[in-house]
Formats: sequence, structure tokens, C-alpha cells
Amino acid sequence: MTEPTAVTSPGAIPPAANEPTNSSSKSGFRAMWEVWTNRVFTMREDRFFLFLAVLIGILSGLAVVCFRIAIEWTQIELLGSSLSPTFPRVVLAPTLAGIAVALLVIYAFPRARGSGVNQTKSAVYVSNGYIPFNTVVGKFITCALAIGSGQSLGPEDPSLQMGAGIASLIGRRLRLSQEKVRLIAPVGAAAGLAAAFNAPISAVLFVLEEVIGTWSAGVLGAIVLAAISSVVTMRAFLGPESMFRVPPFRVAKPADLLAYVVLGIVGGLASLVFLKWLAYARPRMQSLPRWTQHFQPAVAGLLIGIIGIRLPQVMGAGYPIIDQAMHGQFTWKLLLVLAALKILATGFSFLSGTPGGMFAPSLFIGAMLGGAVGAIEQHFFPALPGTVGTFALVGMGTFFAGFLRVPITSVFMVIEVSGNYTAILPVMISSLIAYGISRSYIKVPLFDLLARQDGLVLPSVEEQREQMILTVEDAMRVDAALVLERGDKIGEAIKKLEAKEGLLSFLRVRPGEWNFIEQSELQRLAADTSQSHTVEEANSRGPLPFVFRDMSLEEALHWAGDWPALPVLSRADLSKLEGVVTLDDILKAFRKVPVA
Amino acid sequence: MSSPANTIAVGKKSPRIYSREAVLFGCILLLVLFVLFTAAVSRMYHKKIHVLADNWFDQGEASFRAGDIKSALTDYRNAMVYSPDNAKFQFHLAQALAAAGRGDEGRSYLLNLLSESPGSGDVNLALARIAAHKGLTSDALRYYHGAIYGVWENNPIEMRWQVRRELAEYLLERGLQQQAVPEIIALADSTPADNIEQRRVVGNLLLRAKLWNRVLDVFRSLPAANQNDEDALLGAATSAFNLGQYNAALDYFDRLPEKDRNSPGAAEMYKTAQQINEMNPFLPGLSREAKARRAASALSLATVRVQQCASQLGQSLSATPPETQLQKALADAKELAADENWQNIARHPETVDEVMGHAFEMENAAVAACGEPEGVDQALWLLGRSRGVSAQ
Repeated sequence: MTEPTAVTSPGAIPPAANEPTNSSSKSGFRAMWEVWTNRVFTMREDRFFLFLAVLIGILSGLAVVCFRIAIEWTQIELLGSSLSPTFPRVVLAPTLAGIAVALLVIYAFPRARGSGVNQTKSAVYVSNGYIPFNTVVGKFITCALAIGSGQSLGPEDPSLQMGAGIASLIGRRLRLSQEKVRLIAPVGAAAGLAAAFNAPISAVLFVLEEVIGTWSAGVLGAIVLAAISSVVTMRAFLGPESMFRVPPFRVAKPADLLAYVVLGIVGGLASLVFLKWLAYARPRMQSLPRWTQHFQPAVAGLLIGIIGIRLPQVMGAGYPIIDQAMHGQFTWKLLLVLAALKILATGFSFLSGTPGGMFAPSLFIGAMLGGAVGAIEQHFFPALPGTVGTFALVGMGTFFAGFLRVPITSVFMVIEVSGNYTAILPVMISSLIAYGISRSYIKVPLFDLLARQDGLVLPSVEEQREQMILTVEDAMRVDAALVLERGDKIGEAIKKLEAKEGLLSFLRVRPGEWNFIEQSELQRLAADTSQSHTVEEANSRGPLPFVFRDMSLEEALHWAGDWPALPVLSRADLSKLEGVVTLDDILKAFRKVPVA
Repeated sequence: MSSPANTIAVGKKSPRIYSREAVLFGCILLLVLFVLFTAAVSRMYHKKIHVLADNWFDQGEASFRAGDIKSALTDYRNAMVYSPDNAKFQFHLAQALAAAGRGDEGRSYLLNLLSESPGSGDVNLALARIAAHKGLTSDALRYYHGAIYGVWENNPIEMRWQVRRELAEYLLERGLQQQAVPEIIALADSTPADNIEQRRVVGNLLLRAKLWNRVLDVFRSLPAANQNDEDALLGAATSAFNLGQYNAALDYFDRLPEKDRNSPGAAEMYKTAQQINEMNPFLPGLSREAKARRAASALSLATVRVQQCASQLGQSLSATPPETQLQKALADAKELAADENWQNIARHPETVDEVMGHAFEMENAAVAACGEPEGVDQALWLLGRSRGVSAQ
């Protein structure tokens, strides 16, 4: 909500116009500072919010840069600089780091455990935008340690939460309005995710789809600004390159797209398997005695380390491995094995409560599956356009869409992380198929599922999508109104009313101005036989608020209670009555819709 | 505007209240400090990963040079983890993959590099080699030409020459003579006159492409620079032989050491050239009698060849009027031979051309009916060809 007046909090400096200028007595810096703060604080709050979005974006970008460096540095120190770590390191690093992470989470940063997306979402919907800064520090340390030691998790989810935490702290300290404090967390979340992915559009879409849970967010501008400024900041330090480099390709014939339909089906089924497993195992892991939490990350680390002895590719976030897969470095058999083992390893890490995100692993699994499907298809159909890398890229988006249930984000994510627009059509097709399969067999998306398992019921875009939006057209009745003009004779009007039962009479005063006349009023005038009466003489109620047939029924409901009936007019001609709608009609229409 | 109390999180201890400008000032200060800190950390990090990347790359280079392609691949990949966009690393990894017989995998990196620098000679050449290895001729041609006309950082003229030579060799190996010829001619034109080694290479390519005139031009000039250049002498002999310049061919063959002269490719040509030389009545300096004897001998040799060929085909040579080429050629020769022994020819030296013409015609008729001859018949037939009497 915007406020037309200037922001005037207790600590604010009055507007510059009212302040006597005595800059000569002040230092140059102080004078400049005062002029600048005057300008900032005399902004309308929505503009000030945009300014804050940029600030949050830069801070989040810096935090993510440090976070990514911390992860890679930890990885180099713990696992060594080679892609194939030595045997003792590959087993000991994730195990010992698992113990350290468990102790940190239990005793120092209890809120670092769990999904950053859900914690940010619950901050928006449950705790008025409050995310303790301790969580930001906790996520930074524990995730850097966990991912750097080889746990199969990614840095995006924690980055999202770190951004949200920074934003929340700034919002609270600046004592923004309650609504703005609540909305500032998603702004930071978008900034954090954008910097982590180097993908501002995807971050904005994801935050709208998953964190805010509604497309009608009033903070879209701030979210976009924050995402852009964080990406710019991140690129200043880590470079502007896309995450993956895939040669451009062209789909020559529509029939070639069938190859991606197959990929969509495989990706959808794989995401289904992974989701089912997590949904089944997580409550069981949570029900284990509390003392086991001290060891769960270590056991997960040990299991991942054992897998890593033969296939170290499954360890960590796995971005270099995705890049290799995109360059066709693995056989289809190895790609399939890597996908399956990554599902296992990620499941171990996630179920053990080790802090970290699911984005990178889901991209890894998708890339491996996509590469495998592509290699198999190209074996049988060598003329198929694109390379294994193309399929790996599309596979990434496919699994992402099926697993996280964010089809729109996944399409843009693929374009942004590869800088390759040519994959858009295949990725749209396969993502939608994977999303459809996943949604058909698991009704609740992953993050909602996790929230519900934690006892939270948070809104989701997917639920909103499933809700039927009723319009006036669904409730209105046509041919249920009698349109009268001022000069019409009462007798004729009565005749028409008697000819058809249940007609409501409306007086057309002028285009856009309609009144309602009770039947009893017409009858009263008709009973007076001493003279001939016209409709104009009848007492009418109005002017009535009018509605259009495409307006939402909820909108019509605002007025329906105050008037016996609402005229439904044509948008092209306000003197034309298309139908009539009453409170009863609206309620009947609502009752017809099945409750989700 | 809601009161400050409302903005504080539910159920949390109220934080100490600061003025907005103080908070904002704190934020800006924090931002500046954070930028400085991040810059310092980032600098340290980049330094570290550059060192790691370079170390892995150097290890990869060492492994590659030592022929340990598997280790080189691992090392290059490790290097690329720390510097994924490094074109040099990608290029070397691609080359190692190609060397390991995994050209398809290398191709993907090279295509990336090509999309970034389409004019790169190195990248085009590497792609051309992969395409050539896979037998994708049109791709190979495209990339080879990309490399020839591409940008080379070091010694571009030499590199372009080498690439064109590689392309010409590839085309000749694939039997694509027509496509090879323009490349070899272009190569010959771009070869400096003073570069003996390159001219020898060009000469050999011309030889393989059977561009005899050009070969002879190249090789004739080479012995001038080095009298004992065996390759050049052999090349010149071969091209002279194929051009029908048997006398010159013999001269080059004679200048070759015996072992080269008797090598499998040369021995046959040398022997044939000698035979041609021995039966050629048109050589300058021959006596009238010698010319007549050679002409008569050629006529009788060709007559025998026609008779053998007719017998091989089961044809009668006594048919009148003559119908087949063999019958016609023999009839013409008999008509002449009735009164043309060597003494008559010696008496009328102007008939040598006519007699030899009949001999060549008979050989040609026999070639057309029975295929190419061997030995002295081949020598006679080749002599006829070199005199411009081609097989029908």
C-alpha cells in the first residue's frame, strides 16, 4: 500500500525545505549527508522501498559472493583441488564435517536446519517478515562446511535465505511499516537466489511462485531491482560468465521435438520417484530420537563418501560435473548411474537435516538424466539435432520443473544459466510434461509438503492455479430483467412483468445510470386508476453499481449485498443490459464450485 | 505509517531503537566495509584458483607431452574446474580428448570456442581434424578452410601453408582428386621459391595428384638447388615418364642412386623408359639404318601383338573385307609390310613415320580389344601415346 504523505518516523529529519541551511557551519561531508538523507527520507515509502531493494541487492550479492568463495575454499581444503579426491579425504571429510555441522545446528544455529524457502515463506506469512540474523550466519557457516565437505546439496537455497535474512534485518532496523517488513524478506530472497544462480529472471519468478505464492505481488518492482543489483554485484567479483556453456543448436523439424517429449516423461517419472522417497522418509527420520540428530549428517556424509570412492562426481553441488556432462564427457550408462546415485546422495544429505539446498542437486540429476536420454536417442536416431549437452541442458530444466514444481522458473532458468535461447522450445515442452506427471501423482509441491510436515500451511501458487476463478458470467441470469424507460406506461410494464415470473425491473435513466424499481412500487402506481402513470413517477433505487460479465464474482460481491440486484452491462454500450445478478445468484455460483 | 512498535517482530525482544538515518548510515558503512572485505577475499580466492588452475594445466601439459593422455585429461579437467572459461584450457582438453579417440567430446568444447571466436585458426583446425577423423568431409573442408583463412597468433603464413597441406593430403587420402587439385595448386602458388623443403612437399602432392607438368616444373628446379636431391630426381623422373618425356625420364633415373632406381615404384618405369628408348626410331642422332631397323621391328612386334590378341578373342584375322578394328589395323599393316622390310625403309626414310603409325594403330587396336599390354608392347604403345596417337 502506498501512502501519499511523506514518511515521518520519530527519528526522521524533517523535509529539507523546512530546514534552515547552515552548511557553512558544517563540514562538507555532513552537509552532503544531510541533503542526501533528507532526500531519502522525504521519499514516499514505496520509493524508499525501491531504494532499499537496491541496497539489499548489493548486500545480498556480496554475501553470496563470500558464501560461494567459502564453499569452494572449504572444498579445496577438505577434499583437495582435484575432481577425484583421494580415498581418506573422500570418506573422512564429509563424515567429520557432518559431525561439526550437526553440533553447530543443534547448539548454535538451530534455525539453520531446514528449507530456506519455507523459512522465508513462513517469515512472510507467519512471523511478519522476521528472520533472525543468527540464521544468516548459521546458514553461511554450516552450508559452506557441509557443501564444501562433499554433502550432496547446493548453495542456492541458503543464499536465498541469507538474502531474506539481510533484508529482514534492514527492514526491522529501519522500522518500516509492518507490511513492508513482511514483504522485504522476499526481496532479499530474490537477491540472494539471483546472485547464487547468476539468473535474475529465474530468481524473480521463483520468489513469486514459491516464496510469496502469488502473482499479484505489489513488490514486483523491488524484487526485480534487488535481483538485478545482486547479480551485478556478484558478477563484479565472480565474473559475468554463464554457469554452463552449451553450443547453440536448432530444432530442424517439429518431429525432432518428440525426442524431448521422451525426456519430459523420463524427467517427470524420476522427479516423482525422488519426491515420493523424500515424502515417505522425512517424517520417519524426524521421528527418530533427538540424540540421533547429532550423527545423522555424519552418517549421510559417510554414505556419500562411500559412493564417492568410486564416483566422486556425486559429491558437493556438482556444477563442474554438469558442465562435463554437457560436453558429452560421460557415457549414457555412467550418466544414468550418476543420476541414480545423486538422488540417493541428495536424499541422504537432505533427510539427515544437513543444511543446504536442493536446487543444485536437482539440476545435476536432471542434467545426467537428460544426457543419458539424449545419448540413447541419438544412438537410435543419429540425425537428431543437438548434442548430448543440449539434452543435458533441457534435462536440467525438466527435472527442476518436475521436482520443485516451478515450470515457468525452470524455462527461464535454463536460458539464463546457459545463455542459450535456442533450447527454449524443447525445455518448455519437456518441463511441462514433467510438471504434469509430477502433479498428477503428488498433489502437493515439495516445499508445501515440507511445510506441512513441519506443521505449517503456507499458500502456494499451484493451489491458486487450481482454484477456479468465478466471474459474473457464472452467476448472472439473462432474460431475467425488464428494462424500463422513463416514459413507459405503468400498465404496460405490469403486463410485461406478469407475462414472465421472476422478472426484475430496471429503469434506464441514461447510459451507465440504472435504477431498480420494486414490483410492488409499480403495482402501487397501477392500483391508482385515477390517472395514467409513467415509470418515471415510480420510486426507484439507484443509481445502481453495474458490473460486467468478465468481472470476478468476488468483486461483484462487494456491492451485491447492498442492492437487490446488479445490472450486468455491455462494455461496449453502457445502455445495454446483458443480464442481472443478485446476491443469491452469486452465493449459488460459489456453492457449486467444489472445495479444494 | 505504523508505529515502530508494530514493526517489530511478534514475540521477539524489542531491538534498541536507532534513528533511520543512523541505521541507513550504518548500512552504507557496512556496505562499504563489506565491499572492501569481499574484494580482498575475492582477490585472494582468484589468486589461489589461478595458481591451482595453472598448476593442473602444467601437469596436464607434461602428461600430454609424455603421451599419458588419460592423466592429461584428468589434469586438464581439474584445471577447468578453477577456470572453466579459459579458452586455452578448453582447447587443450579438446585436443587431448581427440588424441584419446574421443573427438566427439572434444568437439563440444571446440564448438563453444568457435562460437566465441569464429575466426580462430587453431580451433578451426582442431575441429577439422576431428571431422576428418570421423570422415565428415564437408565439415572437414569447412573447418580446414576456416583455419586457412582464420587468425593465427604465431607465424600465420606458415600455419596457413601447413593447414592447406594437411587439407590436400586429407583429400588425396580420401580419393577426392578433384577437390584436392585446387588446394594443391594454391599451395604451390603460396610456396616460397627459396623454401626447398616446402617445394619438395608440394612436388610430392602434385605427383600424387598427377599434375605432371607442375610436378616437373617443381622438381626440375629442385635438383638445380641440390644436385643429389633424390626425392626431386625421382619426382622429376616420374613426372617426365608420365608426360611421355621418356628420354628426360631416363636421364633423371640415371642420376638416381641404384637403390632408388630399383625401388618398387621406379624400377618398372625405368625399365619401360629404357625399352621405349631402345625402340624409339625418332630419337635424334640415330643412323638411317638404325631408324629403319627400329621401325620394322616395331611393325613386326605390333603385328604379333594383334595376332595374339585376335587369337585370345577367337577372332579370325583373314576376314574380307576386314570388320573389326583389329582386322582393319592388321590389313593396313600387311598391305604395307608386303613391300616394307627394313632395307626398303632405310632406302625411303620418309616412310618411318607411316610404318610407326601403323604399328601404333595396331597396338591401340589391341589395347582397345584386349587391354593394356606389358613389356615391350607396353613400351611401344606408350611411345605411340607420347607421339599423340591415342587409344580409341
